[in-house]
Amino acid sequence: MKPLRLALFAAGLALLAARPALAQAAEAGATAATDAQRTMLWFVLTTLVLVLMVFVLLFVALLSWMKPQLRQLYALPTVHDTWSGRVLGLLVGDARLVRGDVRDELLDHDYDGIHEFDNDLPPWWKYGFYATIVFAIGYVTYYHVLKTGQLQGAEYAAEMQQAALLIAATPDDPNQVTTYTALTAPADLSSGKSIFATNCAPCHGANAEGKVGPNLTDDYWLHGGELNHVYKTIKFGVNGKGMVAWKGKLSGKQILQVTSYALSLHGTHPANAKPAQGEKEQSTGKPVANL
Amino acid sequence: MQAELQGPTAATLPRPVAPPPPRGIETFFYDNKIVRDFGIATVVWGIIGMLVGVLAAFELARPEVNMGTAYTTFGRIRPLHTNAVIFAFVGNGIFTGVYYSLQRLCRTRMFSGVLSKIHFWGWQLIILSAVATLPLGFTTSKEYAELEWPIDIAITLVWVVFGWNMFGTIARRRERHLYVAIWFYIATFLTVAVLHIVNSMEMPVSFLKSYSMYVGVQDALVQWWYGHNAVAFFLTTPYLGMMYYFLPKAAGRPVYSYRLSIIHFWALIFIYIWAGPHHLLYTALPDWAQSLGVAFSIMLIAPSWGGMINGLLTLRGAWDKVRTDPVLKFFVVAITAYGMATFEGPMLSLKNVNAIAHFTDWIVAHVHVGALGWNGFLTFGMLYWLWPRLYRTPLFSTKLANTHFWLGTLGILFYAIPMYWAGFTQGLMWKQFNAEGMLQYPNFLETVLQLVPMYYLRGIGGLLYLSGVFLLLFNLYKTAKAGTLLANEPAEAPALLPEAQDPHAQGGHWHRWLERRPFQLAVGATVAILIGGAVEMIPTFLVKSNVPTIVSVKPYRPLELQGRDLYIREGCSNCHTQMVRPFRSETERYGEYSKAGEYIYDRPFLWGSKRTGPDLQRVGQKYPHSWHYNHMMDPTSMSPGSIMPPYPWLYEQKIDYSILPAKIKVLRNLGTPYPAGFDQVAVDDAQKQAQGIVADLKKEGIEVMPDKEIVALIAYLQRLGTDIKVKPEQATAAATASIQ
Repeated sequence: MKPLRLALFAAGLALLAARPALAQAAEAGATAATDAQRTMLWFVLTTLVLVLMVFVLLFVALLSWMKPQLRQLYALPTVHDTWSGRVLGLLVGDARLVRGDVRDELLDHDYDGIHEFDNDLPPWWKYGFYATIVFAIGYVTYYHVLKTGQLQGAEYAAEMQQAALLIAATPDDPNQVTTYTALTAPADLSSGKSIFATNCAPCHGANAEGKVGPNLTDDYWLHGGELNHVYKTIKFGVNGKGMVAWKGKLSGKQILQVTSYALSLHGTHPANAKPAQGEKEQSTGKPVANL
Repeated sequence: MQAELQGPTAATLPRPVAPPPPRGIETFFYDNKIVRDFGIATVVWGIIGMLVGVLAAFELARPEVNMGTAYTTFGRIRPLHTNAVIFAFVGNGIFTGVYYSLQRLCRTRMFSGVLSKIHFWGWQLIILSAVATLPLGFTTSKEYAELEWPIDIAITLVWVVFGWNMFGTIARRRERHLYVAIWFYIATFLTVAVLHIVNSMEMPVSFLKSYSMYVGVQDALVQWWYGHNAVAFFLTTPYLGMMYYFLPKAAGRPVYSYRLSIIHFWALIFIYIWAGPHHLLYTALPDWAQSLGVAFSIMLIAPSWGGMINGLLTLRGAWDKVRTDPVLKFFVVAITAYGMATFEGPMLSLKNVNAIAHFTDWIVAHVHVGALGWNGFLTFGMLYWLWPRLYRTPLFSTKLANTHFWLGTLGILFYAIPMYWAGFTQGLMWKQFNAEGMLQYPNFLETVLQLVPMYYLRGIGGLLYLSGVFLLLFNLYKTAKAGTLLANEPAEAPALLPEAQDPHAQGGHWHRWLERRPFQLAVGATVAILIGGAVEMIPTFLVKSNVPTIVSVKPYRPLELQGRDLYIREGCSNCHTQMVRPFRSETERYGEYSKAGEYIYDRPFLWGSKRTGPDLQRVGQKYPHSWHYNHMMDPTSMSPGSIMPPYPWLYEQKIDYSILPAKIKVLRNLGTPYPAGFDQVAVDDAQKQAQGIVADLKKEGIEVMPDKEIVALIAYLQRLGTDIKVKPEQATAAATASIQ
């Protein structure tokens, strides 16, 4: 028994000793990671993994080579029922430790001819149960006693913060003045057309003749017919009047494409056109300051 | 099996007078007729319930399958399907198994033939009333508890009759100790009674309309405590009890471990009851209650698996029989399905898994593995085992039973695999952002259209499974024709000696002591199942901070309330949630996430559990009235390709104002702050609001009478989730204006 314990102890010490070195390596990787340092880090890590693999292989080889001796050791009454003995038993493959002692002793129960054994709780089941209890206690402690874990509110705040970093580049202020001009490239207009067909046609009609939403081909506009006005209406929507805000669903470029496409339909006089709504205004007017 | 059948046949000749019993041996007769009756009801309701399920399945692939009538829309028949398979098919299955096994485990006839008959016919009448009311739209909308209050009372009474009959039988037993099956039956009876009564607390408005006594978050907690434990104590514990009787009987092997039975029984009933909140993860339910739900769900793995391993290990030494005996085949798949479902359940309770799976078809797949595999197959195996014994003749065809087994197994696979696929697909599509930080699939419909092929496959899986049940019906019918029903099966057993003289009644460990005392065992089980519910519910009801007040949230106006009741009648919450979870993918798609304080006037809560269509919590004011008008008339006009059915009857039927004053009165009594006497002016207020909506629609070129149901529904939809957008001072002004 002693040699095994000694060996385990030595392995543990070796790992402990390696810890500062590992930590340093990781730190080096995280901070000023010059190329040389990074190469060094990967080199060290790879070596470590390889060494570990060799150790595991040696250990397995040793086990299978020494199995008869270990079995004998395990069979000793002084070893058999101790903790280390059980570890040894698992190593030499004593299935009883996982499955339990199946004695199949009948109890004197007889219920309409049904009999019962009184076999042990299978240890894998029993220790699995204990493990879930430990998990459950740990879970509640982590979130509600130590309060280390992020509950859903904090989790959401963190997610939004991260997203804000990602899309900080896109300005999102409804009062910002834009000075876009209509896109005219055929590629832009055709992607504008397909965006229109999937997203706008249900309300404004396939030919922009107006259904639930207003006609987009006439001279009358509810929220301004100049390109930047229309762009803004599409992007931020009109709350309470049924125009959906499309920011987050369409990108800035897509909104510009679909705006350009919609305005290109001006004056097409489609069939079943909806009567005019709003103020008379030419959609091709000049960009207006202070939208 | 043949040899076993020979023995009792010799004893079937009824003796005119029982001979004087030597040494206190008594002769009595088991009531087999009631078992047979429940068995037939099981098969018949199973077929009906599954037919409705197949119809519902194909309606999701093609809405026109509903044939255009209000009574067959998905929203109305989905509750019919769930109620029929849970309470009619599995319910009658439970009673078949309990009535057969309880008599034999207690060595006595059922306590009262009259009670048995009342129980049987009462239960069938309750199911018939469900078949009549649910398609007509009489529903409370609370899942698996949709039946309205008069039927709830009838269920309570019939359940009491069942309990009375069961405990009467136990009291007259000729067997000192209660077998593990009976522990499970007792726990089932008690817990279902508690669940049903607590969750069905509602205040009647009229004969078939009521409002829940609980509101918003509390209603949700009570409902899912109920819903989850309906699975635990209606679909699981009675079936475990039946497994403990029919499996060792069919296999002819002793139960693997008595001590495992004890540990897993008590652990299961104690832990199960806590896990309800895992149905409400990432909702407005307080965090602490959600965490308890997660923790206890994980602890539930081992107790559930205790039943599985005790079942599978009982088959040691009988696996050769499994190859030939269809009964054992059904049992093995049933127990395996149970093991898979009870491992998957806890995994789905982990918040990171739940975030993807919840509201998707993954959950539908999960419950069907349990329902089709565990409940269905255990029932089929039991019926194939019972019929030859009830009719004293071998089964008509083992080959047909084997065919049924394979059809059923294929059916489960064809059902479950497409639904898992659909669930993963949709869960991931909802959450996918593109490189520009925008939703990859901003149009909800895109994610739905991906699933339609899966919905067809799932329907085919259902058909396969159902066709197997027809084989069962045929096989049982032929078996019954070939034999004669042994209505009263003779048996003999010595009477129990007084406890003091009975050597069996002495000694043993503490649990052995408990097994001799049904009353103490019942008390113990009751205590075990009450703790979890009490710990979760009482603080949610009493501690104010669990539902932070939002000043701008006001009660519904009368027309909106009418619209809400239409939303309930049409079963909208079967496909639409009203719960935006705190995920960026949801707040980008729908708007601000839902707060507990928004639901303080919601009786019942309408959070939903499945998002076949988009969430509706923030739909208010998003579209113009005319959008909703067109959409409800023909959903594909506003959402091309939509699988939502049209609702043309809302444009013909008039709003029923007759019970509106009563509704306002009831809600006021329950605590909604309508001013005194508001019930008198409620109809006027509703008509005024309706005029406003009609005027708005007219501007859009739509002519509609203000008394049509669609107007009320639009009023409700436009109100949804808008209160928190209002600034506080505006809110008070608007509220006083609306209330006056």
